[in-house]
Amino acid sequence: MNLIRNALRADSLGLLLVVLIGGAALSLARPEFLTAYNIDVILVGFSLTVIYALGQGVIIAIGHMNLALGATGCLVAVAFGGSMQVWGLPVWAAMLFGLLIGTFCGFLNGWLTHKSGLTSFIITLATLSIFKGISLGITQAQPFYGVADSVKAFGSDRWGPLPETLLVALPIVIGVALFLGKMIPGRQMLAFGGNPNAAELSGISRARMVILAHTLSGLLAAIAGMMSVARLQLASPAIGDEWLIASFAAPVIGGAVLSGGHLSVVGTCLGVLIVSLINQALVMLAVDPFYVQVMLGALILGAVGLNRLRESRLGNAPVLRLS
Amino acid sequence: MNVTALSTSSRPSPPAGEREPAAKNRALSGFLGSNIFGLIIAIAVFVLLFGLFANGFLSKVNIYSISRSIGINGVIGLAMMTVLVTGGLNLGLGAIAVCSAMVVGWSLQNLGLGIAPSLMIGVLAGAALGAVNGLIVVTTRLHSFVVTLATMSIFFGTMILLSGAQGFNALPRVMTTFGRIRMYGVVSPLLLIMLLVAAILYYIYRYTAFGREMLAAGANPFAAKLSGLPVERLFVWCHALCGAIGAIAGVMASVRNGAVVPSMAGPLGADWLLPAFLAPVLGGTLLTGGSVSVIGAILGTIFVEIITSGLYMLQIGEFWIQTALGLVLLGAILLERGRAAMALQRSTRR
Repeated sequence: MNLIRNALRADSLGLLLVVLIGGAALSLARPEFLTAYNIDVILVGFSLTVIYALGQGVIIAIGHMNLALGATGCLVAVAFGGSMQVWGLPVWAAMLFGLLIGTFCGFLNGWLTHKSGLTSFIITLATLSIFKGISLGITQAQPFYGVADSVKAFGSDRWGPLPETLLVALPIVIGVALFLGKMIPGRQMLAFGGNPNAAELSGISRARMVILAHTLSGLLAAIAGMMSVARLQLASPAIGDEWLIASFAAPVIGGAVLSGGHLSVVGTCLGVLIVSLINQALVMLAVDPFYVQVMLGALILGAVGLNRLRESRLGNAPVLRLS
Repeated sequence: MNVTALSTSSRPSPPAGEREPAAKNRALSGFLGSNIFGLIIAIAVFVLLFGLFANGFLSKVNIYSISRSIGINGVIGLAMMTVLVTGGLNLGLGAIAVCSAMVVGWSLQNLGLGIAPSLMIGVLAGAALGAVNGLIVVTTRLHSFVVTLATMSIFFGTMILLSGAQGFNALPRVMTTFGRIRMYGVVSPLLLIMLLVAAILYYIYRYTAFGREMLAAGANPFAAKLSGLPVERLFVWCHALCGAIGAIAGVMASVRNGAVVPSMAGPLGADWLLPAFLAPVLGGTLLTGGSVSVIGAILGTIFVEIITSGLYMLQIGEFWIQTALGLVLLGAILLERGRAAMALQRSTRR
């Protein structure tokens, strides 16, 4: 009983068990699950999803939300592809351009949220349609195909047994973990998320925290957007359309509390793994892809329910609304 | 803190226009500075601009099509408004609407029921799905954002699995011709349905104890609870109301399309989110809960549809319209905040 209770309390142990048991069950049911090709597919998907999941995670950490995450990724992807195809920029310049756009989009979200004092939900709903509209308007809903060969190669190349995208994702994951765990602005962000008023009274600037978190989210969305371009080998304005649910599911499965103040990077990674396991299982067992939707929804509900249970054990007051 | 909160929420301030006569002047200046007045002016300005510069904007066909979109999107906005009352929201509104419309189609085509019972079943289905959201929100005490994020994919996914993503395209002729009726050449009957829904909601929120209780519970759940209101049950009702009105919107959209199409509200029904929030937010409904403005929501919808149609007529491309609507939402929010800050400044100076 004690063991179970402790496992419940730990963010990642239970999740790790779920991943291992799920993986084992799947490889028993479908031996081809453990083939190199299949694991590769999972890892490539993982590298992309974990970046935008963390992009949502850093916002969840301060108790906000970013609906415009996918639209930011989309705008960056379009800018990245378009600047290479239309302006003929070299890859590094296009990447810099993309990163700038994403960071600016995030900054805009944070600045507007702070200035208006409204919930980030409505602000990012507005910027979602602005960013998405711009991406669709520029491209007229047609993808840019003129992506540089080195970018395409990056999306499909291997480094030993590992896909190259994973080699980009891992340092980013570690960077975010260090930022939130060890660095002062990161700790301040979590403190601010846990109790904004207390944090402000102890000298943490509300404006800085809100803008920092949103900017970071924009930056991560930008990286994910460009990674999608590498993976798809084209800059499609449909990139980011299906990020929303998974971007909330992974951190929440990983133990993040939506009212803020807590984000487990390891948990988020395991959450992403669980999401990709489900995806993979449903593909391999040849069931309708819409089961993925149903499963993801059920998983979010289960996970937030569990988090809520844990939270009330820890003695936190129940929160009825996000402010 | 609880004591003061209790006293303000147990006596909700009367709506504008019902204030004591001494404050008539203030009420008038309040109206001149209100969303409703601003929206009327904005609508007039844009009608004039588009009428002058957009070819065909004032043609009968276009006015008819605007009236039809106002009908449908107005009901979508009103549906979201009923749940904004709780200080929460419903991301799954589009999903519920499509699910309910599919239930209506199924009942008409597969069960062979008549139109009236089918519509009834559809609205009940919408209310039931909404109530499920509400029940999960109040029992788990989770924010409705994450609950409805989860249920929208559950509802929509289940509906697709059950229906095999096949719509219902053999709707009875009465329904499809209803969608094509032109009253006086320019008015769609869908607009009248929206006005009916709005009138009912206006009545509920203004004149019934049930409506006042929903507002009180949303304005300050803790205070309302202390003053003896069944806050949890009221919240479930709000969500059920949202689902039921969403179902009406789903059927209206199907009537316009002439068929029930599972993809009519985009993937997971998420394409309806922008119109759903635009109308009530432009109309002055607070996202923090406890306030509604039915007339504001209608004016908000009219404003949005005029902008959409006008930009469409100016041929700036449909994708840029999305950008424009986002800017409108952003502008309205910021304007509202600026006005609130100015009002505060003025009152403190006095």
